[in-house]
Amino acid sequence: MKYFLPLTDPILEMVDISVKLSGLQILDSVSIGVPQGTVTGLIGPNGAGKTTVFNVISGFITADSGYLKVDGKKQKHVQPHHLTRKGIARTLQGVGLFPTMSALENVMIGGSSQVRSGIIAQALAMPWTDVEQNRLRAQSMAVLGELNIADAANRLPGELPYPIQKRVALARALVSDPQVLLLDEPAGGISAADISELADLIRSWVPKRTVLLVEHHMELVMEVCDLIWVLDAGKVIAAGTPDEVRRNPAVLAAYLGEDGAT
Amino acid sequence: MTTFIDYLLGGLGSGAIIALMALALVLIWRSTRVVNFAQVGQAMFTTFIALSIQTWTGSWYIALIGALAAGAVLGVIVQYLVLRPVKRNDTSGAIIATFGVLIALQAAAGMIWPGGSQAFPQPFNNSGIEFAGRVWPISIYDFVVIGITALLVLGLTLLFTKTSLGLSMRAAAFNPEVARLSGVRVSRVLTFGWALAGSVGAVAGVLVAPVSTISPNSFDILLVFAFTAAVIGGLDSLIGAISIGVFAGLVISLVSGYSDSGNAPVVALLLLALNLILKPEGIFSHHKARSV
Repeated sequence: MKYFLPLTDPILEMVDISVKLSGLQILDSVSIGVPQGTVTGLIGPNGAGKTTVFNVISGFITADSGYLKVDGKKQKHVQPHHLTRKGIARTLQGVGLFPTMSALENVMIGGSSQVRSGIIAQALAMPWTDVEQNRLRAQSMAVLGELNIADAANRLPGELPYPIQKRVALARALVSDPQVLLLDEPAGGISAADISELADLIRSWVPKRTVLLVEHHMELVMEVCDLIWVLDAGKVIAAGTPDEVRRNPAVLAAYLGEDGAT
Repeated sequence: MTTFIDYLLGGLGSGAIIALMALALVLIWRSTRVVNFAQVGQAMFTTFIALSIQTWTGSWYIALIGALAAGAVLGVIVQYLVLRPVKRNDTSGAIIATFGVLIALQAAAGMIWPGGSQAFPQPFNNSGIEFAGRVWPISIYDFVVIGITALLVLGLTLLFTKTSLGLSMRAAAFNPEVARLSGVRVSRVLTFGWALAGSVGAVAGVLVAPVSTISPNSFDILLVFAFTAAVIGGLDSLIGAISIGVFAGLVISLVSGYSDSGNAPVVALLLLALNLILKPEGIFSHHKARSV
């Protein structure tokens, strides 16, 4: 059975997406939508297929069937390096920072799609490439400042506490000024106080941006999300507001087993 | 002591050339995790092209520029035709492919430029300079070699640290998937890396040719020294390749001076073995360990 939820103004839609990897059905006719200007959660037990959803949206995995729509436009052959140009940025589980590059350089990489000069012009250090580089540096510093970590700009990731590294990873996603942010377990490995700050931060981005959040920390999900989709074993089993999802017997069964649901 | 200093001075020029070739190997390793054993074959081929250009035009400068361009083009051709079709993550397959390219280039050069070893014209005076009442074992040409190497190193340092392209190259080398997600066009950046390494190797070839001769196999020994320098330097470290490359030139000069030049490759391999036992990740590596 396909789960259906009427959505108004979805900026991101997956329609009937199926993915089979190594003979296993990872996603089975998954249809989900992310309304513009909301924080939408994507939850489910381990192995439910949440990260695969992100990988399909990012272009790392090609769906066997179904399609993706961004801002109402059907997408063909999404390429990971085109994602930020489409106004979508993604963070990874963990931090995924480049260890030999400073925090500022890590953030600047997130703005790569804004660099318009060609490879040859950059290699020959043409004057206009300096202008672009300086603009990107200033923009990256501004985002680090917004996240209150400007003083970490010249430090290597390994010299920074883990919560600060997480913020650098967020800054790298934000520097491209995305319309849609895909956050993959942003609360993983950080303290309760940091999670509370993270919740405020995520809510501060909407409605200007839209957030699709994969997270195991249920308190955070219930606090920040306007809408939640629940996956289990590659299928959508529920969707609704946090209160609706919290009370849904199918969700309880998926998380706690049949006994927990009764 | 004077003899010792003379041997050191005499090794600076060859050290700079080894450093350049090691640099070319490191540029490819950083971006693809493949040791490109075809690098000396590419350098040999482009040096023959440079020799042809010099014969036609009579200008060493035009020959050098021609070699730079030919090195870039050949690097891209090798990447597109040979390395790209090899399955990603099949490192051993890629390394074997580079050996295949080396053999193919040597065979092709033998057919295109027959006649065995050929002399490359001396662009600058290669006799020892006279200073303070004696002749020193370093020539104007050695200074030109050292100067060009220094300029290339400076240019590469600025490229990697001050430009978006350099940042993209570093990101793509470390984690191509994260780089892609951040908007980096990794395949283009990798292609540029192959072109860049091809050009750097070509410069090394054109610089070494006037002090030796050129034949399809004449750069093989350069591969031994450059590979040794790149591995001891840390394989992913540009500064390691340069420092150990120059150091290798000095060691070779000392070994050749105090014993016999035929012992130099043996000493290089001994240093390589010692390094792999004591510090397998290399002296300047960012990584804590590397499987060998």
